[in-house]
Amino acid sequence: MALHAGECKFQREVAGKRCDLADQELELFIHGAAAKPRVIVAAPDEVLRDVLVRFEIIKESQDDILVFIGECDEALSEPDDVEDGADTHAPVDVSLTLEVLDLKRHRHVHVHKCRHVAVEVNFSGKTKRRRFSPSTTVGVVTRWARKKFHLDAAAAAEYVLQICKSTDQPRSDKHIGELVEASKCSICFDLVKEVTPQG
Amino acid sequence: MDQPDQRLFDADVASADFRIGAAKGLWGQAEAELLPMDMKWPRVILWIAAAARPAAPERFYVSLDAAGYNGVPPTGTFWDSGAKQSLEFGKRPKGKPDSRFAKIFRTDWKDGVAFYHPYDRVAAHDHPQWRTDQPHLVWTSSHTIVDYLEEFHLLLNCGDYLGV
Repeated sequence: MALHAGECKFQREVAGKRCDLADQELELFIHGAAAKPRVIVAAPDEVLRDVLVRFEIIKESQDDILVFIGECDEALSEPDDVEDGADTHAPVDVSLTLEVLDLKRHRHVHVHKCRHVAVEVNFSGKTKRRRFSPSTTVGVVTRWARKKFHLDAAAAAEYVLQICKSTDQPRSDKHIGELVEASKCSICFDLVKEVTPQG
Repeated sequence: MDQPDQRLFDADVASADFRIGAAKGLWGQAEAELLPMDMKWPRVILWIAAAARPAAPERFYVSLDAAGYNGVPPTGTFWDSGAKQSLEFGKRPKGKPDSRFAKIFRTDWKDGVAFYHPYDRVAAHDHPQWRTDQPHLVWTSSHTIVDYLEEFHLLLNCGDYLGV
């Protein structure tokens, strides 16, 4: 990997020369259970666990968390006849560096206690279920649900997810892991039609 | 010193939610050279990416009055970044007839100076019944400019958007 000179926060020794990593700092998005995401900046050669500890996202000795990177969209390629499917998106080894984990490309880091979030979607008296990675966006779950219920493509865009027994329609860019409490690895939605403004 | 509403807006533009969308190319702040010389708070200009349509732009700019943010929603409409004025109706995004898209971006209401949506301050004020009809879209102090951008980004990328 090429290194560039300049002012920096992070430096390291390579082959006896001090190399600046300023223009390689990675802007990462940290997501957790029932919390707003955070932006952090770290160097590619830092170990992910060290970064999470430094920003007080996890404790030094904490080992009851799972860390996922990227955004999972496996559900979109699931064959139509699969019922009660589950994402295979696996947690990563936090002892690896950001560079090895390719976080320059993935950007998103999800720190969660749930291996999966069990999602139920109700529509027209029927229920579809699937276990999603906490790193899945509401937008992906919505597209999966529209497909699973065989909604007409022309009308499908007007159907959105609403949390059961509420009027909350979470934004499509939210991740499923952000919508659930750490201790509760499940969530229920109704698939509802958007209202067209009148009056 | 910045006004409280401006400080809240600036903080939300620096938030992870805004940055995530910006990093994905979904929205952003208008480049400095596209801003009017006399622009000052509470006016802000943002852009929202749109689905590819023949002869249509890749993004639409919106000029918003964000006074009172975020206790109340912003108000505003499409902006012509070249002419530095409101986008003329002929260049605005069009939707399928009678669709939700067409209703929200209608130009036959208030001379097209605001979006016909609960996230627009003028529209929400003029339609108190929307608080009952569309409770999920009632703007509260927990809403941010990202909620606004995400809502209109979805519209500009849905199947009912036909182009300009």
